[in-house]
Amino acid sequence: MTPEELNDLAGEYVLGTLAAEQRLHVQQRLEHDAPLRAAVEAWEQRLLPLTELAEPVAPSPYLWRRIERSLGHHAVGDTPPVPWWNLLALWRGLAGAGLLASLVLASLLLTRPAAINPTAYVVVLTAPQSQAPGWVIQASNDQQIQLIPLGVMQIPADKALEFWTKGDDWQGPVSLGLVKPGQSLSIPLDKLPPLAPNQLFEMTLEGPNGSPTGKPTGPIQAIGRAVKVI
Amino acid sequence: MPEPLFDYEACLLACARGEQQALRQLYEQDCARLLGVAKRIARDTALAEDIVHEAFINIWNGAGGFDPRRGSARGWVYSVTRHLALNVMRKKGREVALSDEHEQTLAAEPSTEHFEYRARSGKVYQCLEHLEPARRSCILHAYVDGLSHSEIAQKLGTPLGTVKAWIKRSLAALRECMA
Repeated sequence: MTPEELNDLAGEYVLGTLAAEQRLHVQQRLEHDAPLRAAVEAWEQRLLPLTELAEPVAPSPYLWRRIERSLGHHAVGDTPPVPWWNLLALWRGLAGAGLLASLVLASLLLTRPAAINPTAYVVVLTAPQSQAPGWVIQASNDQQIQLIPLGVMQIPADKALEFWTKGDDWQGPVSLGLVKPGQSLSIPLDKLPPLAPNQLFEMTLEGPNGSPTGKPTGPIQAIGRAVKVI
Repeated sequence: MPEPLFDYEACLLACARGEQQALRQLYEQDCARLLGVAKRIARDTALAEDIVHEAFINIWNGAGGFDPRRGSARGWVYSVTRHLALNVMRKKGREVALSDEHEQTLAAEPSTEHFEYRARSGKVYQCLEHLEPARRSCILHAYVDGLSHSEIAQKLGTPLGTVKAWIKRSLAALRECMA
């Protein structure tokens, strides 16, 4: 075969116009025929830019998996879905959230002890003669008190119970309003000085509309003093 | 060539060392283009994917035997794919077993259809411009569409012997022009 014939054969092989038998023959010769191989490689380089004329085609998502499977490779770059319990980000997030929550709670614990302590003051109102407890007052802060009946006090039908309080240094008792026997009440103290230790609370028996004078006039039914809860 | 950033040679060397990530990078870099090349020749997307699948197997297994002194790594990757596609199509053509004479009679209607293409930068495009349009079409139909002599004759409505002679002379002219 002349160099000219060799070049023609190589050119037609690379161009793709050889028939099946001739192609196979050239491919077998390429294994050991260095001059033919050189001629073919020269043609490959010459014509390679023409591959640009073919529009790219997006591969299906399965093609890479197929290649990997055929090669016996395990997911490279294309990792299988990670089960939720093995998601590092999930556990990092939860650990971060937990740490944050514990810091917030710890700071609340240190800066707002009053909010944690449900009761700052307690008053037990007892009957003056029998000392029988009739009501309990709870205050979790010094602006609001809870009046809790321990039983249903018996009072005459034409009378009413009036609730009073007086601080140690006050001029006189201040009315907190009428209270029905057995009634549970939440009473704001925002108009009064803050609740203080030893502050007096009492119930007096008054007319159906309360004391006409604005000061206790009837007999004391229950009385007690505020005690600060440690 | 427009892909100076991807180091094909290093990629093939890494494949030869068994680095699976390198094959994946090559796939991401060139799969769509290789599939495009295979599809133009195979004329069927599923068949083209079969061809590219086999090409990647051959690239992985043959990377160790690639010799950079004998040609560019990128060229080798494309050649492996193209020749697989051509093998498939030539084998098919033989099974159809149309004789040259038979195809010649089929090509009764002369056609003026030429390969539509926009010339790009590069020596091969400059040299193709020097060829007569009909002869240039023969080269491009063969290389890009993977058509056989008789298919080109049929497509262009030109006698088979003429097509064979045009291709032979065009290849010689290209080689001379590109030397």
